Parts: sequence; structure tokens; C-alpha cells
Amino acid sequence: MPFNSYPYFVFLVVAVLGFRLLEKGAPTARRVFLLLASYAFYAWWRADFLVLLCGSTLVNYALGCEIERRRMQHKDRRALLIGGLLFNLGLIATFKYDTLFVSTANEFFGIGLPVPHFFLPLAISFFTFEQISYLVDADSGRTHNYGLLDYALFVAFFPHLIAGPIVRHNDLIPQFRQIRSRNDDLAAGITLFSIGLAKKSLIADNLAPFADAIFNAASRGTHLGPTDSWLGTLFFAFQIYFDFSAYSDMALGSSLMMGIRLPVNFHSPYKSASIIEFWRRWHISLSAFLRDYLYVPLGGNRKGRGRRYLNLFITMLLGGLWHGANWTFMLWGGLHGLYLSINHAFRHATKGMNPSPALRLPLHAASVALTFAATTLAWIVFRAPDLASAKNVLGGLLGGGHSAVVSFSPLAAVTLLLLFVILWFMPNSMEIMWRYRPALPSPYTDQPVSAARRLAWHPTPLQAGLYGLMCIVAVLALSNLKPFIYFQF
Amino acid sequence: MENTRYAFWFLTTVALTILALAGFNALAGRYILHHPEGGSVQTLSGFERALKPVWLEQTQPQLVFVGSSRVRDGFDPTLIDPALKVRSFNYGASSMTPYEARRFVQDALAHPSVKQVVVALDAFTGNGGAGEALPSFDETRLAVTPSGDPTPRRSLWLFTTRFLSGGALGMNALSAWSLAQLKTGQSAADRPDIFPAYAHMTQAVMQKDLAYRRARIMRMGEGAAKELSATLNAACHAPARLTLFFPPDNLAIIARYRQGDAGALDGFKQTVGELVAQHNTQCPNKAELFDFMAPNALTRQTLEHGSSRDYVDLVHFRPPAGLWLLGQMGLSAR
Repeated sequence: MPFNSYPYFVFLVVAVLGFRLLEKGAPTARRVFLLLASYAFYAWWRADFLVLLCGSTLVNYALGCEIERRRMQHKDRRALLIGGLLFNLGLIATFKYDTLFVSTANEFFGIGLPVPHFFLPLAISFFTFEQISYLVDADSGRTHNYGLLDYALFVAFFPHLIAGPIVRHNDLIPQFRQIRSRNDDLAAGITLFSIGLAKKSLIADNLAPFADAIFNAASRGTHLGPTDSWLGTLFFAFQIYFDFSAYSDMALGSSLMMGIRLPVNFHSPYKSASIIEFWRRWHISLSAFLRDYLYVPLGGNRKGRGRRYLNLFITMLLGGLWHGANWTFMLWGGLHGLYLSINHAFRHATKGMNPSPALRLPLHAASVALTFAATTLAWIVFRAPDLASAKNVLGGLLGGGHSAVVSFSPLAAVTLLLLFVILWFMPNSMEIMWRYRPALPSPYTDQPVSAARRLAWHPTPLQAGLYGLMCIVAVLALSNLKPFIYFQF
Repeated sequence: MENTRYAFWFLTTVALTILALAGFNALAGRYILHHPEGGSVQTLSGFERALKPVWLEQTQPQLVFVGSSRVRDGFDPTLIDPALKVRSFNYGASSMTPYEARRFVQDALAHPSVKQVVVALDAFTGNGGAGEALPSFDETRLAVTPSGDPTPRRSLWLFTTRFLSGGALGMNALSAWSLAQLKTGQSAADRPDIFPAYAHMTQAVMQKDLAYRRARIMRMGEGAAKELSATLNAACHAPARLTLFFPPDNLAIIARYRQGDAGALDGFKQTVGELVAQHNTQCPNKAELFDFMAPNALTRQTLEHGSSRDYVDLVHFRPPAGLWLLGQMGLSAR
């Protein structure tokens, strides 16, 4: 059930109440309750796929335990690890990439294989990655003989189940063992959840129809004019920003209400002054996963500069493919791989250069603007349903067509201006709440989240009323069940 | 302690506001439903997409009108019901897209009380295709999914829409306020300042409309044609009759359509004609088609003494003209 829906609101209230009522009981009862609640949450979407989630959990747990046991006994465990990885990648390949692989093979080799169309199980990309990290960590001695209940809850814990953050076993399981909900967690959790809901229903969902109309027109072959292309591109850049930021806040807020902290996943990425920094602020849990379980095993930066750029490119290409079985996602990932390589090469070339203090601010502003432009340009291929549509939008940016799907009104200008002000000059929700530690710190130590100086949250009755009213306005604006963009991955 | 108080005040604010909101929506809903002129609020422009599916469910009508603002303005149940001795419902909404039109027809056809659905075909023009809808359109409130299956958990969505949505708050407030402005014995027709569907086109409005719609053409895109085809398929075995009509846009604006792209207008009519003919050869439930977008007593009308008898502007006809159109379609008192 989507976080921005009435059933979820009711579910969350029941889950938090039930959890708190069990506070005085045995700790196991709370964990069993949370696991059952998480399975009910997943089954609301499709009960039959619960078998897949449970089956995958059991297989990975058994493999992880055996790997851990063999490691303790200094026995060979490579076959088990490889088998586990193949099992997980096979699962995701079967359900997510089968159509892409077979249709591409048919096209390239001119063979007529029947194209399978499996139903994509919700959250498969997320729970598969989380379990891959568990198996790899079990092999390298970073797991601690977890019980099945803790492990199953780590995989299925409902606030992160559907669209992340991609959590690590050592982020959550130690917290499960000492969970205790406190009133300050509840207060911070409902506030964070409300901020996320407002971002989703008041901002992201109101930008979506315009971005959709323009990209749909592009996919129908309408030759987009510059106004349509620029507005469509900018509106989508803002839509996905607020949509994903909203989701992350709501996930962290839901979890916090039960005293459990998820990792920071979103930290004002459009404030980044480089692509490297962007990836330390956007979908932080995915980029950290790709770094630790793909980029580093590929060799990382240990085998020379050329190899480093290649590794970056491969990592981002596969990161793009993780988003969906479409060449547009791969192209998006490839573009970011290229951006990152250029960024690292530039850093290497300018190493030791220090701009004068007077130039620092304008250079920083220019870097932020350039990073925003580069990421926004890449969003075109991410959003477009196919390469032809992406080309159409790109052509429009350069004045190719003359469509008029939307018009540039004063309202659109004011909206854009306001959005830029929010994302470049306002503190983000993590900074607003950071004094109360609503999340686990970022794995990137050079991008710490610090408490906001302005607009910081304080648990006063006045702020309670204001945030309560904001929550109601956001609920009133829920006119449609618009899913989060990241739910499809 | 500070945090406990915060949580208490937050939850109290939320709970009290929700109670007040739901209470207002419940009271306003009852007031509108039981007001003698209550049907006239269906001609108002506001958050109609949000609340009309709920009203349809509450009204259980026999006759339903689907279409853009032409339909929303032109068919007033308070005028039609006593004249035709029927319970009717206006399911019109501003700038209805082809997909929305198909889905609203599907919704109307799925109600057992509905015996006839009348659809204005201008909703099936433009480039819009599958899934394209305006922001407040929400299919979870409709009786069936696009494939015709019952909508899962629909009663929950109807409940939350009726009592907890901003759309309901806006529409209920606007409707209740409008009805409250009517003095005893007054109808919507007496207050065109509040019910604009009853206004009369003036020279100034006509000139403004001609300028505003100067580049307007009437073209049916591929997506729109597919949606009309899906609409007809939905009616193939339905118990309710389906009546389609080209709306009676004034000849002055039809001339502009022809000036803009005569082929597009002819193509639109031809495609509709072919789809309806194909439907009628294949389906037991035949569809009727009427063309009022042509010279007739209504569309030929010009201004008399500076104002129009039957038009609000060049495309929006007044409710009395809507009643006349129904007569032309053969609908009379049962």
C-alpha cells in the first residue's frame, strides 16, 4: 500500500499503537508483531507474492548461516556464495529483465524466442540487493549469527520494504534487539512523515501532470518546441526530486515512530557542486551499495586511472539498469558514469589549484548550476519511455519543434522560481530535524548532515499545531493514488 | 515531557480538523442532496471530477450525460427531470480528456439504475490517449477498472473522497454557498451571476470567444479514436443505451474550425461515423449518433438585441437548449 494513501495511514496508526502496546511484553513479541505487520503490508498489494518474499528470505538466511559456519571453520564457501549470488540475480533477472533480454536477443540474432511477460513483484530490486549484501558480508565476517526472526524482519520491515532505503543488516538488526519506542521518536517521526506527505501531495503530484503531458506528447511523436521541452525537463527534475525526497522522509518517519532509525537516503542533491557530490546526496543507500558491492570488487581506484574510469562507468551502467528493464535507464546510468569519470579526471587535473577567496563563491555557484544542468539533462533519458522520445525532447531544448502542449505563464515562472529557492536556499527535512537524530548518519563522511540554523524543529505546541495543519492540507490534496516514482523499481 | 505534549497537540490538531472537515462535508452533502434546486449544482465549475462519482452513486440516476464543460453547462437535472419524468445526472467536467470520457461512460454503464448515457463527442478530440487525465481525476472512485472489472476497495475510496478530500470540501462549499444564495421560489436560471450556465452570450463575449478560439480546430487524434472505440466496446453488451452527439457549437465557431482545418473536422465526423456503424453491426446494444455540429435551429442563432437566447458563449449552450437537444434525440417524458 502506498505511503500516501488512507489505508496506509490506518495501517501505520494500528502498527504504531500495537507496537507500543506490546512495549511491556517480551521483546520477541514486538519483533513478531512488526514482522507480521510487514507481511500484511506487502500482502495488501498481492498476497501470492508474499511466498516469493518469504522463500527468498529463507533461502538467503540458510545460505548466510552456512557461509558463516564454514567461515568460522575455515572451510571453502565460494560455491555457496556464488550459488547465493546466482540465486538472487537469477530471481531478479527472471522477473525484471526477462522481457528485455529475450526481445534483445530476438532482435540481434533474428531468432524467434517467445517473449515471456512475468509480473514484476513489488520491491524485488530492493530486497534482493539487501540480501546480496548480507551474503557477501557473511562471507567476509561482518555478520553476527542472526536469528531467523531478526533476519526476516530486516528484509521485510515495512518502512523500507517497497522502495528503500537499501538497508544493511548491521544497520537494522542491532536496533531490533533493543527497540524501544520513546515519545520523542514518535513526535519526530510524525513530523518527518508529515513533511514528506506535504512534499508529495502538494509539490510532486502537482508537477507530474505537466511533466507527463509533455513527455507523453514527445512519445506520440509531437515535435516539441523549446517551451515545452524546457518546462517538461525542469518540471520532471523537480517532480522526481520532491517525489523521492518525500518517499524517503515518509519511510524514515514511519520507522522512527517505532524508534528505529533508517539510514539517510536523500540530502539536498541539487545543492551538489559536482557529480561526485550528487551521488553522495542522491539515493545515498543505492550509491553506497554500488560502491561497496560492485565498484570496489571491480577494482575501484586501485588499478590506475583508466581502470578506475572504466569501473565507474560499468558500475553506473549497471546502476542504471537496476532501475528498470529499459535501454533508457542504461543510457542514464552510462551518462552518469561518463559524468563521474570526467569529474574525477577534472579533479585530478586541477589538483593543488586553489582559487582566490573572491572567486570561491561564484565558482561554487557555477559548479552547482552546472551539476544541476547535467543531472537535469540526464533525467530526460530516465523519464522518456524510449530513445526516440528522449531525442525528441532534447531536440526541443535546442528549438527543434514548435509544439504548445503547455504555455509559459507567469504562474509557471513563479513556480519555478519558488522551487529553485526551496531546493537551493532552504534547509532540507534532515537538517530541520537533525537535532533529534531522525536517521542513521550518511556513509559518506564528507557529506555529514548538520542541524539547520533556521527553521529547526522544536517540539513546541505552536509547531505541533502548524505541522498538524500542514499534514491536514497535504491529506486534503490527496486527490489521486499517484504512486511514488521509485515504487516501480 | 515536551515531546509527549508535542505529539498530543499534533494529533489533537489533526483529529479535530478531520472531524470538522468530515462533519462539514456530511452536512453540506445532505443539504445539496435534499435541496429542491440541488441538481443545478452539477452545472457548476469547481472540483467536479473529485465529487461527481460520489454524487452519481448517491443519485442512482436513469439518464446520465457525459462530456466536457459543454455538457456540464448544458444539462441541468432540475430542468430535465420534471420535463422527462426521469432522474438524470450531469457527469460533465471541464476539458474532459478522451480517456476520462471513456472511463466516465464505463462508470455510468456499470450502474444498474442507468438506462441511457448521452455523450458529447467533443471530449473525443485532440491528441490525448490512454491514461491521460487532469489532476483531480481519480479512477479509484469509478465502479469499474479500465478493463471493466469492479474497482477494488471502491467503497473505501468513495468514503474518503466524500468526507476527507479537498475536492469534496471545495465542491461542497461552493455548491452549498450557491444554493444558499437562492431565495424561496428562485431557481438557478434566476441567478446567472452564481450559476453561469444560465448566462446569455453578449456581443462582447462572442468577440472574446472568437479571438480566444481563433486557432481552435476540431481534430480526432489516434489516441482519442481508440478511446471512443473502447467506449463503444464497453457499451456493446451493456443494458443501458448509448447516445452520442456532436455538440451544437455555434456556426460562427464551426466556420473557424473549417478555416483552421476543414479536413480535421470532416475526418473527426467520418471516423466517429465509421466506428459507430462498425459497433452497430457487431453489437446487440446499438448506439445512436446525432450531429448537431451542423446548421440547425440552434447553431444558426445570432444575437438578438445584443444577447443570445441559448448560448453562454459560442460553444456552451444553456440548459433550456440542452432540453431542446434531448427532444431532438427523441427523449421525451416516459
